[in-house]
Amino acid sequence: MTKTKRLNVFMYIFLTIVSLISVFPLYWMLISATNKSVDVSRGAMLPGTALIDNWKALISQSSVGLAMVNSFKYAIILTACALVICSLAGYGFEIYHDKGKDAVMSVLLLGMMVPFVATMIPLFRMFSAAKLLNTTIAVIFPTISTPFLIMMFRQSARSFPHDIIEAARIDGLNEIQIFFRMFIPTMRSTYAAAMTITFMNAWNNYLWPKVILQDDVSITMPMLVANLTEGYVTDYGVLMLAVLLCSLPTVIIFFLLQKSFAEGITGAVK
Amino acid sequence: MKRKILSALLCVAMTATMLAGCGGEAKDSTDDKQETTDDTAGDDAATDDAAGDDAAGDDAADDSAGGDQKLTVWCWDPAFNIFSMEEAGKVYQADHPEFSVEVVETPWDDIQTKLTTAATSGDLSTMPDIILMQDNAFQKNVISYPEAFVDLTDSGVDFSQFSEAKTAYSVVEGKNYGVPFDNGAVIAAYRTDVLEQAGMKVDDFTDITWDEYLEKGKTVLEKTGKPLLSCQAGESDVIMMMLQSCGASLFDDDGNPALVGNDALKKVMETYAALKEAGVLVEVNDWDQYISTMTTETVAGTINGCWIMASIKTAEDQSGKWAITNMPKFKDLENATNFSNNGGSSWAITANCQNVDLAKDFLASTFAGSVELYENIISCGALATYLPAGDSDVYAQGDEFFGGDAVSAKIVEFAGKTPSNNTGVYYYEARDAVATAMQNIVGGASVDDELQLAQETIESQMQ
Repeated sequence: MTKTKRLNVFMYIFLTIVSLISVFPLYWMLISATNKSVDVSRGAMLPGTALIDNWKALISQSSVGLAMVNSFKYAIILTACALVICSLAGYGFEIYHDKGKDAVMSVLLLGMMVPFVATMIPLFRMFSAAKLLNTTIAVIFPTISTPFLIMMFRQSARSFPHDIIEAARIDGLNEIQIFFRMFIPTMRSTYAAAMTITFMNAWNNYLWPKVILQDDVSITMPMLVANLTEGYVTDYGVLMLAVLLCSLPTVIIFFLLQKSFAEGITGAVK
Repeated sequence: MKRKILSALLCVAMTATMLAGCGGEAKDSTDDKQETTDDTAGDDAATDDAAGDDAAGDDAADDSAGGDQKLTVWCWDPAFNIFSMEEAGKVYQADHPEFSVEVVETPWDDIQTKLTTAATSGDLSTMPDIILMQDNAFQKNVISYPEAFVDLTDSGVDFSQFSEAKTAYSVVEGKNYGVPFDNGAVIAAYRTDVLEQAGMKVDDFTDITWDEYLEKGKTVLEKTGKPLLSCQAGESDVIMMMLQSCGASLFDDDGNPALVGNDALKKVMETYAALKEAGVLVEVNDWDQYISTMTTETVAGTINGCWIMASIKTAEDQSGKWAITNMPKFKDLENATNFSNNGGSSWAITANCQNVDLAKDFLASTFAGSVELYENIISCGALATYLPAGDSDVYAQGDEFFGGDAVSAKIVEFAGKTPSNNTGVYYYEARDAVATAMQNIVGGASVDDELQLAQETIESQMQ
């Protein structure tokens, strides 16, 4: 056995252990969703038979369908708007950059350091004054443009060849057309990465929707999961089933866009 | 060409979703061309939602219907609080057919967040008519946001029908702000089969002192290998239960922290450390592990608020093997008792309530006036702090899980004997400081030094 081969064996053993550790919580979630609450707390490691009972209990005590529809509604609208707005901004900051815009960008980046809870009460006052409480627009507005996404698009626009822009201008495209016809198709992987991140954040968003939405009809999946842990008795089987349902969409989206996600994060241009 | 069509389609799709977002569900088809009127569309959505059947009753649009016989309530736990509130609605409906109650399921942490946001921003219009409030947070919220609550002192609620300790949580400057509901009376629950192996009975643990508890605990541990008590490391529940049983608090009557020179607290912490040292008490990392020490039968008992019974009962195969009695007491302290409280909650009427008289009458004639209600809700384990309910026949029935003992009546009796606890505005901060001190003491630090440090921590937070 050569030296590299031996090294490989160790590497694989190490990687196997690490991946087992990472996968275990997911496995535990799946197993727990099929077990009775008391068995979960006793540490059941094998699939149980209570999946259907858990499902019946879940739909009887909470409106999973409604929460799913709401969560999808907010996440899709937010993702679509955020991608358009932030990519336009990022593109603008990079392609038409000058000292003034760079300064604005630094201010935006500073904004990343302000935690959301610090701006929550002023935001609430603004939305309350605008009579927008309890509306979809209030849920998505505060996060529709984030410094992180703008920065991400700005970084990727940096690797976008200026020659293409010049060539397009010569061919008679105006600036907006260049953005939509040249930039967007070229930066597909960045969009995929941004979409994954934004969708995930929007899906998992809890605090703001909870504050701004006032009735049971607007419930989202993370709120539903939170409701399940609130009682004196937590039914762990039902809870895990809800957590499983709540994490499915982000898992599916991530798997679908996995390849482009990795490319987008590393800033590759094709 | 294909690309052109595709990007055009994309643009249309994005605009459509944007408009759908602004315009409310039914309106988007008519709003197609009004790209610039986002704001008005938003307003439409607000009115749409308010007019919807299930919308929160207190949207601006609802204000016009002031004579409405409907109350909106925020509370948590469908199996318990929400169930109880809905039952109360039915009881009240019997005499007031027009009446209805709408419960919006809201976890406690979220009620606190929403209350803080609404009260700090000065816009209480988002609050419902009635909220359920954790007793531990009651004084903090009423003192911090007095304008957000309705004074219930002369509301027709007879507060003398509740245990004094329970009512005290929601009294601020002599005024009542809450109708007591959920019982948090402390019980000591023991596994009778395990005690039997050690040659003991549950009677040997009734009306005992902590010294006896420690000695008996050592015997049980020796003979069965099981500790008597488990609790969460870094949490102050057990310490606070012990402290309240002595009639002592973390604050004096003026609301100043009183940790240094607090004999009861010092005694409590020493006892806790001794229990831990002897292995009679084991600490676990989180709540789920705490529950599993009971379901996996690794402990011989527990001491907690009576609501813990619901979790104990999830292990159906342990039916008949549990028994309940009062907690140990401190023998040398003057006001010490075998009774205490942990958790529990009370109903409060918010200042946003448009029909305060209705809300007052509803609470006075249900949670503070109907034994029938408490009989109806006992099926979900909701125990009354309303003392007359304790005399009801339903409460005198035995519970098979606990060896046929009439646990409900017992708990109402415990609740009546519990000394009060002075919580104040900084109760949570003080609890955290005490929990940290306890961890350091268990790790070998001196009790006096740690109490001094904890007192300074709270004082600096209060500035």
